[in-house]
Amino acid sequence: MARTPRPPRLPRLLRLLTAVGGLALTAYGLHGLLNDHYITAPLDIVEWAVGGLILHDGLWVPVVCAVGALRVRGPVLRGWLIVAATLTAVGLPAALRAGTDSGNPTLLPLPYLRNLLLVLAVTGVVAALWAGTAALLRRRRTGHR
Amino acid sequence: MGNVDEDTPAPRRRPYDLTLPTPPDALRRGPLREGTFSSRLHDPRTAVVLGRWLGAALLTCFLTGLFSHLVQDPPPWLADRLPSRPAIGYQVTQGLHVISGIAAIPLLGAKLWTVYPKLFEWPPVRSVLHALERLGIAVLVGAMLLELFTGLFNTLQWYPWPFPFRQTHFWLGWLATGGLLLHVAAKAPLIGQHWRRPRPGLAQRRAFLTAVGASVAAVTVTTAGQSVPWLRALDLLAPRRPGLGPQGLPVNRTAAQAGTAAAPADWRLRVDGPQPYELTMDQLLAMPQHEADLPIACVEGWSASARWSGVRVADLLARAGAPASARLRVTSLEADGPYRVMDMPATYARDPLTLLALRVNGEVLAPDHGYPARIIAPNRPGVLQTKWVARMEAL
Repeated sequence: MARTPRPPRLPRLLRLLTAVGGLALTAYGLHGLLNDHYITAPLDIVEWAVGGLILHDGLWVPVVCAVGALRVRGPVLRGWLIVAATLTAVGLPAALRAGTDSGNPTLLPLPYLRNLLLVLAVTGVVAALWAGTAALLRRRRTGHR
Repeated sequence: MGNVDEDTPAPRRRPYDLTLPTPPDALRRGPLREGTFSSRLHDPRTAVVLGRWLGAALLTCFLTGLFSHLVQDPPPWLADRLPSRPAIGYQVTQGLHVISGIAAIPLLGAKLWTVYPKLFEWPPVRSVLHALERLGIAVLVGAMLLELFTGLFNTLQWYPWPFPFRQTHFWLGWLATGGLLLHVAAKAPLIGQHWRRPRPGLAQRRAFLTAVGASVAAVTVTTAGQSVPWLRALDLLAPRRPGLGPQGLPVNRTAAQAGTAAAPADWRLRVDGPQPYELTMDQLLAMPQHEADLPIACVEGWSASARWSGVRVADLLARAGAPASARLRVTSLEADGPYRVMDMPATYARDPLTLLALRVNGEVLAPDHGYPARIIAPNRPGVLQTKWVARMEAL
């Protein structure tokens, strides 16, 4: 393998078209957001978008970086933490909302907190088995040599 | 000048761009200092791999969302061209919309973590063009975060924000997709450079991407069962479980919520057209009854199939002397609600699968499913399957 493949280059025209398309879609979205009859206060949306940015970049990612800096041991534990954070992001709102009586028993009909904890536990066990198997294989391989 | 990241090619001078001065180094504090972020995964290759997955999820969301919007609210030129088949079309596209939206949550999280150090790049802005690019990224990220947040919460029918969901989610979708295209165009050379896997690969990156892939898989298998029948048993976190509800079907709006829990004792179906007429329930049941296996497919992503039986809408319209090209307007008994009056293009109205359903799974419709009569049509969003029908009108 003497020759490394040349990185493919998007032709200039395609890049230009993508940029023009992006500008057009952005302009259309902005125009719609500002002129939609149902949206009476577009600034509310800006506030929530900026609030989301601040919460995500100012609070959530620093926490993730801090956990990472604690030198969480092993790729499997790190991996499970990513899986657990994802499951929590999706499952926790349902668990928090499930207690509210919406007047519709078919909305949020499951025990969501129990299910979330169950899924976290199952993925945790899978991760532990994975780590255990990997360690065993490693030991056996070094043992053979 | 500050150091240029080894992975970032030195910016070309552009005649139309205006260079901005670098702030004094004394201001370079905290995370702005070099070497704050030590992980090797904050690199373009990781960003490119995650960006491809996230881009695919976002484009799927955008296209299926656009389709849903057009089906719900078709512009006049499109209304009569919308196909009523395949019958499960909307179930698939809207199921996919919510599945790819949920999958985008870990993908966006991982992507933003990967590029997080860029938030603190030094100098903060090199030039006017660079400032515009950073502003564009702020719009893209803000729109994406709010889009995924509002979408997820809408599936729970939880609206903690002061703006209307549907319109905001729609327009933010255009902003996010436009921002994505601009971002791809701006980063095209960098994306091209890192498109292929470098050799040797980085074990750390493989582990990280595996974990992100596992996150997508975990969150998909525990929620997709609300629209994918063979995953139903694993539907543990989704806000709906097909099969749970009166007559085995979930409900979007209950009869109590719509104020239609008790149908009027003297209920008759009124059909307006060239030869208007009225029918009692007995007369409706005396007409030829047809069966159709069709899903209720909600815009919130859940869907559930059932066997419906009742009178073909086409038969009712023909009896009123309406031509096959007639559109249909259906009015519900509900006092108000955005979907009280529903317009149906001719392609759906003349489809033999489109019924004025009187029974579901062999039973008389429960009040929550639209007793005394409801519309059920193929390839249509659930909110347009009008319940508690009072009047039909050929247009």
